[in-house]
Amino acid sequence: MKKKVLSTLLTAALAASLLAGCGETAAPAADTASSDAGAATEEAAPADTSSDAGSGEAYHFEIIVKSYQSSYWQAAVKGIEAEAEAKGVTVNCTGPNAESDIADQVNMLNSAINNAPDGIGLAACDQSACLDALQAAMDAGIPVVCFDSGCPDAPAGSVVSTVATDNYSAGATAAENLYPALKDKLGNGQVRVGEINQEATSESIINRGLGFIDKFAELAKADGYTVAVIGNEKYVNDTKAETVAEADADIVIEVGVPAQTTVELCATEAAAIMNKADTIGMFGSNQVAAEGILTANENLSVLGDKILAAGFDAGSVIKAAIKDGTLFGAVTQSPLAMGITTIDVLCDAADGKSVSDVPTDGYWYNADNMDADDIAPNLYD
Amino acid sequence: MNSKELGKKSILTKLGGQKFIVLLVVIVLFAFFAVASPDFRKYTTVLSILDYSYYIVLMAIGVTFPLITAGVDLSIGTGLICYSLAGGYLVVQCGWPVGLGMLVSVLFGIAIGALNGVLISIMELPPFLATLCTCMITRGLGSICSKSFGISWPAASAPGGWFRSIFKVTLGNTKYPLGFLWILLIVAAMAFVLNHTRIGRYTIAIGSNKEAAVLSGINVKFYHIMAYVISGFFAGLASIAYSAVFATVQPGTGAGFELEAIGGAIIGGVSATGGAGSIEGALIGVFVICLLKTGLPFVGLQANWQQIITGLVLIGAVLVDIIKKRREAK
Amino acid sequence: MGEVILTMNDIDKSFPGVHALDHVHFDVNRGEVHALMGENGAGKSTLMKVLTGIYTKDSGSIIYEGKEVEFHNAREAQDAGVVIVHQELNMVGHLTVAQNIFIGREFKKGIMIDDKKMNEEAKKLFERLNIDIDPTATMSDLTVGKQQMCEIAKAISHEAKVIVFDEPSAALTEAEIQELFKIIRDLREQNLGIVYISHRMDEIKVITDRVTVMRDGGYVGTLITNECTKDDIINMMVGRVIYEEPKTKSMVAPDAPVVLKVSHLNAGKMVQDVSFELRKGEILGFSGLMGAGRTETARAIFGADPKESGEIFVNGQKVEINTPEDAVKAGIGYLSEDRKRYGVVVQKTVAENSTLATMDRYVKGIFINKKAEHEITQKYVDSLATKTPSVDQLVVNLSGGNQQKVVIAKWLVRDCEILIFDEPTRGIDVGAKNEIYKLMNKLAAEGKSIIMISSEMTEILRMSDRIVVMCEGKVTGELGIEEVTQEKIMNLATRDIQ
Repeated sequence: MKKKVLSTLLTAALAASLLAGCGETAAPAADTASSDAGAATEEAAPADTSSDAGSGEAYHFEIIVKSYQSSYWQAAVKGIEAEAEAKGVTVNCTGPNAESDIADQVNMLNSAINNAPDGIGLAACDQSACLDALQAAMDAGIPVVCFDSGCPDAPAGSVVSTVATDNYSAGATAAENLYPALKDKLGNGQVRVGEINQEATSESIINRGLGFIDKFAELAKADGYTVAVIGNEKYVNDTKAETVAEADADIVIEVGVPAQTTVELCATEAAAIMNKADTIGMFGSNQVAAEGILTANENLSVLGDKILAAGFDAGSVIKAAIKDGTLFGAVTQSPLAMGITTIDVLCDAADGKSVSDVPTDGYWYNADNMDADDIAPNLYD
Repeated sequence: MNSKELGKKSILTKLGGQKFIVLLVVIVLFAFFAVASPDFRKYTTVLSILDYSYYIVLMAIGVTFPLITAGVDLSIGTGLICYSLAGGYLVVQCGWPVGLGMLVSVLFGIAIGALNGVLISIMELPPFLATLCTCMITRGLGSICSKSFGISWPAASAPGGWFRSIFKVTLGNTKYPLGFLWILLIVAAMAFVLNHTRIGRYTIAIGSNKEAAVLSGINVKFYHIMAYVISGFFAGLASIAYSAVFATVQPGTGAGFELEAIGGAIIGGVSATGGAGSIEGALIGVFVICLLKTGLPFVGLQANWQQIITGLVLIGAVLVDIIKKRREAK
Repeated sequence: MGEVILTMNDIDKSFPGVHALDHVHFDVNRGEVHALMGENGAGKSTLMKVLTGIYTKDSGSIIYEGKEVEFHNAREAQDAGVVIVHQELNMVGHLTVAQNIFIGREFKKGIMIDDKKMNEEAKKLFERLNIDIDPTATMSDLTVGKQQMCEIAKAISHEAKVIVFDEPSAALTEAEIQELFKIIRDLREQNLGIVYISHRMDEIKVITDRVTVMRDGGYVGTLITNECTKDDIINMMVGRVIYEEPKTKSMVAPDAPVVLKVSHLNAGKMVQDVSFELRKGEILGFSGLMGAGRTETARAIFGADPKESGEIFVNGQKVEINTPEDAVKAGIGYLSEDRKRYGVVVQKTVAENSTLATMDRYVKGIFINKKAEHEITQKYVDSLATKTPSVDQLVVNLSGGNQQKVVIAKWLVRDCEILIFDEPTRGIDVGAKNEIYKLMNKLAAEGKSIIMISSEMTEILRMSDRIVVMCEGKVTGELGIEEVTQEKIMNLATRDIQ
């Protein structure tokens, strides 16, 4: 009898937590611990000191990050929490375990709405999955500020501001820096450039990926080369570049997208492309993808001379790779500043002021400039 | 009651049965990929396949024991990540020596394994339920241990990075998959344990006829717990293998690893209903899965196809197991 | 027969709601075979479990080899030399014979188990007992009879001084039973004390020296086998003489129509060119040794096993039976010999089991009409005198005999006209047996037609109007009840065995 009671209780607990999200999911990731000594060694100065010491009201905001998978988000949350403390408002930060746990995030968003906060900050894993919730937020009178990844298809008026890197131009920045380094290898028969995107659903990743492809193709066309784009359908279909058939192209851009947003799956995709004899360049559009490329290189040892690779974001692994030349360079965003700005905008929106989009900057960095004063603060661990 | 004829063993059974078939499958798959894609044929590809297989093989070796007792351990996947995060946090954020961090990972694995064992053997929870619960627990624990950060164990060139060379050494210009050597030794050792020591013998007895084992005076509760401790121990070892191969360990991942390990073991001949199985078979079965995982991208199949095909292969393996049983029962 | 080796005095044991053992006395001498008898639920198994340490007694004492002992688990009892050979064989199917015999006490070389030595020792053991079994064979590959031999060998290897056999002959062929008796006699010569629990009266008479009878948890008395009759024993077991004489005359009307005709049925080695007829209101006994093919024939008729060729006619009409569903539609019901595996869904209630074959009658749309279920079940519980506290009792909690009655009820609810009973009273106590016999006669009188497969000669002789004898898959003869004798049946049943 005791066995039955115990089993029933456990089953009920199981069912309850399963209801909180489908798939192989569990309870949402714990709230981030407040930053302490165990944090990144590089502190970034808050980029924006124009905030008032207290905006008059102790607002409460719900913040939902894309996931806790990479240190990028930890930096963003640090910025959020620091600014919240400075402004005298409270925040509750949550996020799914992995950036592919879309259903989890939608549930968190709905919970956040139910908590009736003064505003919501959201970095959407899949913007189309959030549309209904965004409508609900608007109906409830809760302003939503999107950060890092926007929701361009959101119902009109539901998202009052998007604080994000212009992901499309960030991707283009990578292409702008990588292309010149690869120019000498062009023209001697067909070559291949690989792009690894961790998924094809979030606005940030899609735009970075497309930004890179389009800019690279544009630069190539200017030099008289033809380009073909193959691989994952989303990127193949949405690219603006003028493309030719694979057999006829001088440059083949191959896009790999794994089934889940994990490093080992990105590594497998990257390995397949990096193994090909005609590959000369690689681009990973976020920290996970870039680390996947580096992991694949552990065995292949082709990065640095045979293949030049550009990454995205920072983190200790990527930074070390750039320092020793394995990675040609990377584009970093300013997650800290993004977090701070998000809180500022939320406060303004809660105050009733009108707000608009705030694009944050993305910087290209490599071994030469990574210690410079304007770049270094954004390179978190 | 129908009288059974003394089992007439087919040639396949004499050759080791399912293990033999699966080995053939591995060879055929490898040949197929090698022919279909010239890039696949490179030494570096073999290195990659091996690298990415260590952690799954170790999990599979460990989980074979609960499977043979007609149970299962679903906590090894998220557990692996949890143990790695715990040890890694101590190394990276608290400055502990890498060796000590590795020890913590393994001990953590043993502890969770013991917890599973107690839940299942003494409190008599169904294994599926108990290990699913510890799976969720370790998932959260991992995040807590690392304070939600991802952890990167020291790189090969950093001080402390020596542990990566347990699995791979660079002599001159070539890298050698030393890890595979350890795997073979471990497989041999555990096969010996399973077939020639009391722990292995009683594990089989528990899976085949627990009642009989109890009535024969065996301390079934103890050996039942040990099966899960072994599984936890190997999850701990697997966490070291994972940390050594991959750059960063992220909290919240790991769910799904256990399916590859369990699937590999079953493909290799571990019976889904307990009582039968081999360590060598688990090794070969995992290689089928790793080959598919690594090889399919080389022939251009998108990631989702890998999972579909792996699932189909797994169904095939379980069907073979069941059909074999039906034939024997006639 | 030597001196007393084991005395159980005043043993008392209760479980919640059940007083299982009520001041029971039992003693065993060296060099004797002592039968322990009683209806199901009388407490025989419980008493033996108390002896071997699986249960702890509430009060009383056990004196073994002159000293008071208390075994706390099976291991302690084994080590002291008191061993049970269980009814449900406790063998680990996936291990070999030798590994099974020495399980828990393996020979070791360091941490490695010395399988080679175990095989040798097992071989020696088998030679001592004159059994021909390969110690390296996998246990699940052996026949049930051989598995039991291994179980006995295992008991011997414990240097046993007292061996308890719990229903040993239930799953054995006649030949194997004779081998078993030989071994038991050998053991008796070696001065072991042997306890023999069995329902089979004729065996008791053959092999035992004394008989102790229990009833409802209490000790009734001990008789010397040579000096008592079957009726004496039965009397003690149930408190009244109920044994009837064998049937002398067929109860079937001479003009009764043929309800079932089986023609040239073939289904593998066990069913070869089987043909017979069954008439309305008849009880047709199927006799033969174990393994003669009777169950296989029944299963082939019922559609549970595929057949290669042959035709089946019900009431003159040819019917296609490929699945049990077809058979049930044709009005045939089958009570299998292995109740737990094929007859009842043990975790379900009496009511649920009884209506299992007729669910469509108690179903409205997607709802089950529990009230109607209960009514019909209660009707049969009453008419069959099934001992159960209520129709919602889980079947697993009933005794074997009552479980059997639940299975019978299932087919009666289905209004099957043709019933195949396969070993209907196996493992059932005498009192319940009698009720099943009465029931079968009643059904036959009502016009149902019954095929009764049985390995108990007395049962065949008592119930059948006609007897079909099978041997190794073939029908070897048919006898009317007026002309039959045990010898004639045995003759036909063993014709092909050299």
